[in-house]
Amino acid sequence: MPIESVVVQILVGVASGMILFIVSAGLSLIFGVLRVINFAHGSLYMLGAFLATSISMWLVDSGLGFLGALLLAPLLVALLGVVLEAGLFRRIYAQEHLLQLLLTFGLTLVVADLVRVLWGGEIRRLPLPEWLEGSIRLEFLGGRRFRTYDIVLIGVGVVMALGLWGLLTRTAWGRTIRATVDNPEMVSALGVNINTVYTGVFALGCWLAGLGGVLIAARSSVALGMDAQMIIQTFAVVVIGGLGSFLGALLGALMIGIVVSVGTLYPQIAPFSQALPFVVMALVLIVRPYGLLGKAER
Amino acid sequence: MQTLREQIGRVPVWTQTLIVGGALLAFIPVLSEFQLSLFTEMLIMGLFALSLNIVLGYGGMVSFGHAAFYGVGGYTLAIATTRLGVPVLLAMAIAPFVSALMGFIIGWFAVRRANLYFSILTLAFGQLVYLLVFQARDITKGDDGIQGLPVPDFLEGIVPYFIFTVGVVMVCFVLMRHLVQTPFMLTLKATRENAERAQFIGVDVRQQQLMAFVMGAFFAGVAGVLMAQHNRFVTVDMLFWTTSAEPLLACLLGGMYTLTGPLFGGALLMLLEVVTLRFTSYWSLLLGIITIMLVLVAPKGVLGWLKRS
Repeated sequence: MPIESVVVQILVGVASGMILFIVSAGLSLIFGVLRVINFAHGSLYMLGAFLATSISMWLVDSGLGFLGALLLAPLLVALLGVVLEAGLFRRIYAQEHLLQLLLTFGLTLVVADLVRVLWGGEIRRLPLPEWLEGSIRLEFLGGRRFRTYDIVLIGVGVVMALGLWGLLTRTAWGRTIRATVDNPEMVSALGVNINTVYTGVFALGCWLAGLGGVLIAARSSVALGMDAQMIIQTFAVVVIGGLGSFLGALLGALMIGIVVSVGTLYPQIAPFSQALPFVVMALVLIVRPYGLLGKAER
Repeated sequence: MQTLREQIGRVPVWTQTLIVGGALLAFIPVLSEFQLSLFTEMLIMGLFALSLNIVLGYGGMVSFGHAAFYGVGGYTLAIATTRLGVPVLLAMAIAPFVSALMGFIIGWFAVRRANLYFSILTLAFGQLVYLLVFQARDITKGDDGIQGLPVPDFLEGIVPYFIFTVGVVMVCFVLMRHLVQTPFMLTLKATRENAERAQFIGVDVRQQQLMAFVMGAFFAGVAGVLMAQHNRFVTVDMLFWTTSAEPLLACLLGGMYTLTGPLFGGALLMLLEVVTLRFTSYWSLLLGIITIMLVLVAPKGVLGWLKRS
């Protein structure tokens, strides 16, 4: 196997890992603050992807299909997040885990069928604008080609990682969020409306899921079942990295992206590339049961 | 003054079960073939829910990947009989053990983490099994499923199969009922109530949980075998997460801290599914709505809720 091919596959893996990071960061953020694992996170990601294809069809004449989808679809998903948080999730924060998980699981089943009703079972794509189509030659890798869109994805991933980090550590809202994680009662007693914080964080998490959906829609196909595929991958990410840890999400997502991508180079492994994230997850569980950056709970 | 409940409680479990089983068999002459087939499916779903309840109700572990063991049971039977030429009865007997082995492998990883992580891991591994079966077309025929499972002569026809199902479910029920009273199950309950304290008095919590998980997987395998043999085909749907949701919901519907509750919950759910699918294909939507409503309105289960009021 020439080393250049491996390097290119690693870069491709970083690009797909960035999408996985964006979605996992949303799940991890919601868990970190609200203490709820949202099984329906993959469904919101799927909704983002399907909405993106519809929005781009709607805007096709203006030539702004992709950008319009990129702006609007995550916002719509975030808006749905506000409704879900205020209407459903708020009722179950005090309940035991089983009920929280079942509620979000029920939501997953509902969304899966609703998407089937609204969009049908055919496979869709989000067309890329011309300037993002095509690929560039990488001279330092023996002239191998690399998709322009993948470079953009890596850029978007880096921007999101820095943006989220900045938001949480460098802004007033971020300080409130971190304080809420530590002690919600105290924050509430200091006159902050906790419900607004929860709704905001939930909406932000959903926005990230929707964004991930739009980004994947332009990279591979949009189809039913992508919700299940994504949620189990994000679960692998948070198990590898540790729930509630941003750095962990980034690390886990990049590891999975790279392993899956490099795995496709080997014909014996390629058919089972979907299983590779779980092999990594299982290995991490054996070596470090609480995740690479996680701490022992309780 | 003894309550009726206490009086019933005095009758040995075997006798109780035989009476219920006999009563079920007495229905045979008055039921149509469709109704008998429906009853068979209801019983199987009841058994599937009971198997999860070992993990969920007694172990307090919320597994979202129970379909893996149900499906592996069915697929083992299908692959062994149609591809490897194993005699049907032998394959039926072996399949639950393959499910148990799968339960051991997944459980070994899953019980390393408690609570939320356990749920995440079971869901992830459950979907992984689904993906692997889906992708290994050479062996499993992927999303086409495997048709034409052979049936032993004495199980040919709806009535004999119904009798057989009643018998198997009865035996499994009695086995589980006895398990509940063993020191093992009592220890398991202790780990459910307070894992830390259980550990302090010398219980190997992980080992207890793993054993419960393997037992649950075994009985789920039995249910999977029964369903595969009943349908004479298996599909990847048996392994999908919707299928994992069904026994969970059945336990919630019937009340998960009771022994018989999940059986009724499962039967009720299957009835609902069969009726729904006659009118619309959106079963998953309805299942989701029922789940959400149950969580918001009657989290202790409908039976538990009726008992209280």
